[in-house]
Amino acid sequence: MTTPALEIDSVNVGFGPVSSRTEILANINLTVQQNEFAAIIGFSGSGKSTLMNLLAGIQQPDTGEVRMHGRVVTEPGPERGILFQNYSLLPWLTVFGNIELAVRQVFPKMTRAERKDHIQHYIAMVSLTGSEWKNPGELSGGMRQRLSLARTLSMRPDVLLLDEPLSALDALTRANLQDEIIRIWEEDRRTVVMITNDVDEAVLMADRIIALTPGPKATLGESFPVTLERPRDRTTLNFNPEFKTLRNKVTRYMTEINQEAKQLRKAANVTLPDLSPYDFTAV
Amino acid sequence: MSESTTDKIKYGLLKTIDISGFKVFDPVVRLLFGEEPTKQAVDIVKYLVTPIVFVLLCMALWTVIAPRHKTKSGEVPTPTEVWAAAVVNDTLNEREDEKETDFALSGEGREDAIMEVSAALIIKEAESVELKSDLLQIEKDVKAEITGKIAPLQEAYDRLSQKNRMIKAERETNIHSLAEGVASKKAASADLLQAIRDDKAATEAGRDAEKLIKEEINEVRNNPPKALKNAQLASNAVANEAGHLSKRLDYLKTGNRSLKVTEAEDKTVAALQKLEDASTPAAVLAAAKLVVGGEETAERIAEQRYPRTATIWFQVKRSLFTVFIGFIMAAVIAIPVGIMCGLNKVVMACLTPIISIFKPVSPVVWLLIFQIVVGAFFPDPENHPLFTFFASLPLVGGLGINPALVFSACTVAICAVWPALVNTALGVSSIDQDHMNVARVLRLSLWSRLFKIIIPSSLPLVFAGLRISLGVGWMVLIAAEALSSSDGLGKFVWDEYQNGSSHSFANIIFACFVVGIIGFFLDRIMILLQRSVSFDDGAAVV
Repeated sequence: MTTPALEIDSVNVGFGPVSSRTEILANINLTVQQNEFAAIIGFSGSGKSTLMNLLAGIQQPDTGEVRMHGRVVTEPGPERGILFQNYSLLPWLTVFGNIELAVRQVFPKMTRAERKDHIQHYIAMVSLTGSEWKNPGELSGGMRQRLSLARTLSMRPDVLLLDEPLSALDALTRANLQDEIIRIWEEDRRTVVMITNDVDEAVLMADRIIALTPGPKATLGESFPVTLERPRDRTTLNFNPEFKTLRNKVTRYMTEINQEAKQLRKAANVTLPDLSPYDFTAV
Repeated sequence: MSESTTDKIKYGLLKTIDISGFKVFDPVVRLLFGEEPTKQAVDIVKYLVTPIVFVLLCMALWTVIAPRHKTKSGEVPTPTEVWAAAVVNDTLNEREDEKETDFALSGEGREDAIMEVSAALIIKEAESVELKSDLLQIEKDVKAEITGKIAPLQEAYDRLSQKNRMIKAERETNIHSLAEGVASKKAASADLLQAIRDDKAATEAGRDAEKLIKEEINEVRNNPPKALKNAQLASNAVANEAGHLSKRLDYLKTGNRSLKVTEAEDKTVAALQKLEDASTPAAVLAAAKLVVGGEETAERIAEQRYPRTATIWFQVKRSLFTVFIGFIMAAVIAIPVGIMCGLNKVVMACLTPIISIFKPVSPVVWLLIFQIVVGAFFPDPENHPLFTFFASLPLVGGLGINPALVFSACTVAICAVWPALVNTALGVSSIDQDHMNVARVLRLSLWSRLFKIIIPSSLPLVFAGLRISLGVGWMVLIAAEALSSSDGLGKFVWDEYQNGSSHSFANIIFACFVVGIIGFFLDRIMILLQRSVSFDDGAAVV
């Protein structure tokens, strides 16, 4: 068996001084195979973004390690292309300029013409042709995320990290971009880790869904393989029994772990005084 | 013209006025293109006509109030007088231009100019003589008129004082007799005291009445009819013009540069002749020295500039140049230091005490410090290479760059450096963490990070800081020039204040407007720059 594309090996992350330490992520273990599309699903505040920062190398784990193709990740780099939730476009550069900055840096040996072709190719891939010279400020939210995607893809990353890429978009744009990401991924397969809070999105897009339990001390829970055949058509999928079962399974699991977590939190509360209402009308 | 072309022009125009900060004219442009005329008309009335009316009202108020306040330098000038001062100052500048041209003229141009100016001078002199005789006549008339007006008043005054004196004498006798009565116990002492009190009051009242008439007389004497003042002004103006023309003739005839050069050259030729004729070694040497000296003199004269008197527009140019130098100095220091402060918290911590202590220091203190420090660098400014270099430059050569300009610029720089520095540091330190993450993912080098992420992202704040800096610099400069007598608008104001002629006050107020209007345009230029680097379309505060 080949080395997995990405490995997270018993990682812990927390903050605060030793005396009053808050653990965000505890004992995380994950292996993502080459060209696998893994979706990590979790509630907001459970440390999803921290997990993504670990994968990207923006943040370092307190214990344990993150490995890519067997090498420990110590800093961010273009081989792990990350698509940020809030686009992270440079507003003073045009669509073309934003991609150019990345391409110039990652492929310094390209000639001017090659670079132009390369950039145009990715602009076309995300259907932004015609908007090359617009500033990000003139683009809609969906177009911005497309641009961000084009910039990330233009670096030809081995691993694509999607950090809730579509959560800031409206439902229609979101569906549209989901299809687009899937189309691009199917054309040019690579390892993808996507973080999301949308079960439908995860089932529609991923090969495998991994649940992240609610924080603090979030850890990875059950993993659900998605065996639905590709290409998946969102219009017919709603009637697909396998899709429905899987969706319900994941949703139920997520609800359960959320409830457990709530009970755990409640158990930690102070015991209430033993009081009961008194009926004055009975006197 | 097709529909879209018109639209293009319209929106181009609208964008231009928006960027340049003249958004009030937006409805005017829209109205010209026929867009919703009623709405535009309402907007024009609200935001354009009303402010104009308000300003006019202020001017009217000024016109009414100003003459009522009498100061040591005369009445507070009205807008008309200030405008007149502006015209006078502009004329002075024009005259300097004319004299400068005359000084440099040579050959046929000079001959023509002499003809022209002489003819004009003859006309003006004739006019001046005529006006002077008119003035004399008017003065005589006015004197007669005033005497005529004063005579009855004087008579009334004399009569009143005569009467007052008589009554006073009566009261005195009365008091004396009362005193005798009291002494011989025939009258009550209370009556005497009352009589003395009454006398005092009556004397006072009499004096007041006299004073009233005296004031009336003075009023007549000090307020000659407007006709006299106008005649004086007219006569003075023509005499001035004639004086200017004769000065011009001077510069064309005796004071002309080409003439002086020819003179020097003639001397050299004569000396050459002497050199040929000389027979003894001593005579040869003396003649040779004369030749060389003559050549040098001719060269020196050929390079002479006309010694311009400092007019207001010259002072404006110099002030603008000084503030520009000071501003550039401030920017060159503030931007790199600000970037370092924003990038590194230790640098920020090191500089915070320095910034906090020196930021509130008054420009006057800085001026004095720089005056001493800069002065020490240039013990002999006349021959310092820096200043001789500046004097040889084409555009700024005539501005008379000297140590005073250098320390004024330094004062501007040190006062203007703080807003730019603090804003730059803020801009750099408040850079979006997402943008830094992009830089980290791309593994940008330090330089790329600086020039591709950090500086572009902080530019809007940097320019906001520079804009404040330029405003501060301009204010500081005027004060510095006034205090240090370094040529510029500040010195113009100060000179007028010290000069104390009848026009001074109007000139000062005129200078106040010049300073304000230039400051306004400097600010507009900075807004333009700020807008051009703003990527977030955040409207710059207008």
